[in-house]
Amino acid sequence: MKKIWLWMAAAICMMVLPGIARAQVLLIANPSVKATGVSKGEIRDVFTGNATSLHDGSKVIPVLLKSGETTNAFLAAFIGKSDAAFRASWRSLVFSGQGSMPKQEDTDAAMVEYVLHTSGAVGYVGKSAAHDGVKVLQVR
Amino acid sequence: MRRILAFLILAVCVEAGAHAQSLDDLNIQIHGYATQSFVYTNNNNIFTMDSSGGSLQWTEAVVNVGATPVPKLRIGVQARYMLLGNIGNAITLDWAAADYKVNDRIGFRFGKVKTPTGLLNEIQDIDPSYQWALLPQGVYPLLSRNSVLSHEGGIVYGDARMGSKGGRLQYWGFAGVRSLPGNDGYFLNQTESGETLPNGISFKLAGLTLRWQLPIRGLMIGASEVNQRSASGLLVYGPYTGTQQTKEFNQPSYFGKYENDKLMVAGEYIRLTVPFSVNLTGLPAQGGYLDQRAWYAMSTYKATSKLSVGVYDTQSVDRASPVSSSSRRFFDWVINGRYDFNEFLYAKAEEHFMRGTEFGFDQTMNPNGLKPNTDTLVMKVGVSF
Repeated sequence: MKKIWLWMAAAICMMVLPGIARAQVLLIANPSVKATGVSKGEIRDVFTGNATSLHDGSKVIPVLLKSGETTNAFLAAFIGKSDAAFRASWRSLVFSGQGSMPKQEDTDAAMVEYVLHTSGAVGYVGKSAAHDGVKVLQVR
Repeated sequence: MRRILAFLILAVCVEAGAHAQSLDDLNIQIHGYATQSFVYTNNNNIFTMDSSGGSLQWTEAVVNVGATPVPKLRIGVQARYMLLGNIGNAITLDWAAADYKVNDRIGFRFGKVKTPTGLLNEIQDIDPSYQWALLPQGVYPLLSRNSVLSHEGGIVYGDARMGSKGGRLQYWGFAGVRSLPGNDGYFLNQTESGETLPNGISFKLAGLTLRWQLPIRGLMIGASEVNQRSASGLLVYGPYTGTQQTKEFNQPSYFGKYENDKLMVAGEYIRLTVPFSVNLTGLPAQGGYLDQRAWYAMSTYKATSKLSVGVYDTQSVDRASPVSSSSRRFFDWVINGRYDFNEFLYAKAEEHFMRGTEFGFDQTMNPNGLKPNTDTLVMKVGVSF
């Protein structure tokens, strides 16, 4: 009986944790991006180099924050990989000639500034970060 | 090759000039990695190293420079230093290519490009990108990896989304010429038996790879087919000269992979049937063929955020070899661990239980003949940026 409760608790954690992580980050986009909402799969495809546009046809460019809590929360919520594994998968695209590493910003403020001034840019910031001028993408 | 490089440099200059871009706008990136391995074997020496005494003679270092002059165009070049036992110890060009991606459905890459076949071919020489210190030798043999790794020509690629119930189909069509110098590891056993190809050999190839990402998240199946046209090269054997010819053949490959947050399971099967003939003036003509069938099944598990463990089994059989020969078959059971200290530094440790001598063993480093079994320890440390 104890084991069943433990399994149930673990299952609930697995379902809830990505949602918690998602709640810790805001997806932001340059106002040129037409979409107002995106699916988790679309974000995963764009940030893993598998797609350069959203399903509505908006051409997008992924932008990363440097390693840290916000990036870990973003990766847990949308990509399902650790930071090291995520960056290793990008390097394999770079070293095999299939892609370029996304631009990386050091702070939330720099991310917002870059996304605001770069057509098609899509990035993420901590939930409490100021994000005036950029579009906030809702996750469907 | 010089023409490819000249073209790429010209493309950058034209783009930069046309758009009056700064270096920052070009998004120039420099990346690299380096690995150092320690290999220890019992019974036989492997990969032309003195591995039975423990060898550090496997070093690789790669530098990659890329730029994105306009959003749809990427250009890049990658050079490699490789030392491996008695072969290698040279700097070579991995690839130098321009990539124009019109949209997600279609893109073009041309120059010297990685050949997109099988599950791992494009990344088989990119150590930081996978779990293993040594890939399954039945399918990705280290000594002869240049024979399948890249070609000069082009690739058309793209993907088609088939809705939430159909998944996503990725495709790569490719064609070009592959050139192997006479001192490549591919010719090692031949060279050691006294036959040399001073001009190497070049052959035309074309192929198609399909990967279907099924609607089940993390599951992919795929297939490749490469057609390699007949080719011949100058052959020298002592006082005799002549030609070595490989006839046209197809190489199919079937593979699949399932991956979730922690677990990865993958497998691949290839068949390689290569008819060849040797004609040396003054000697009777010889002919034969290679009929290799090989597969592997592998799995990795992410035990912690830094530690991953894995196992694989690979088997290969050359059905054209004599049944009694130990070089007819190759079995390898592998256990492995990889530890990522941070995003730049990692280490791998791996134990192989090899049965058979089809791959990796040469005559010069094993002058007393080959024993049927070899246990191999590979430890590797790598840094990438």
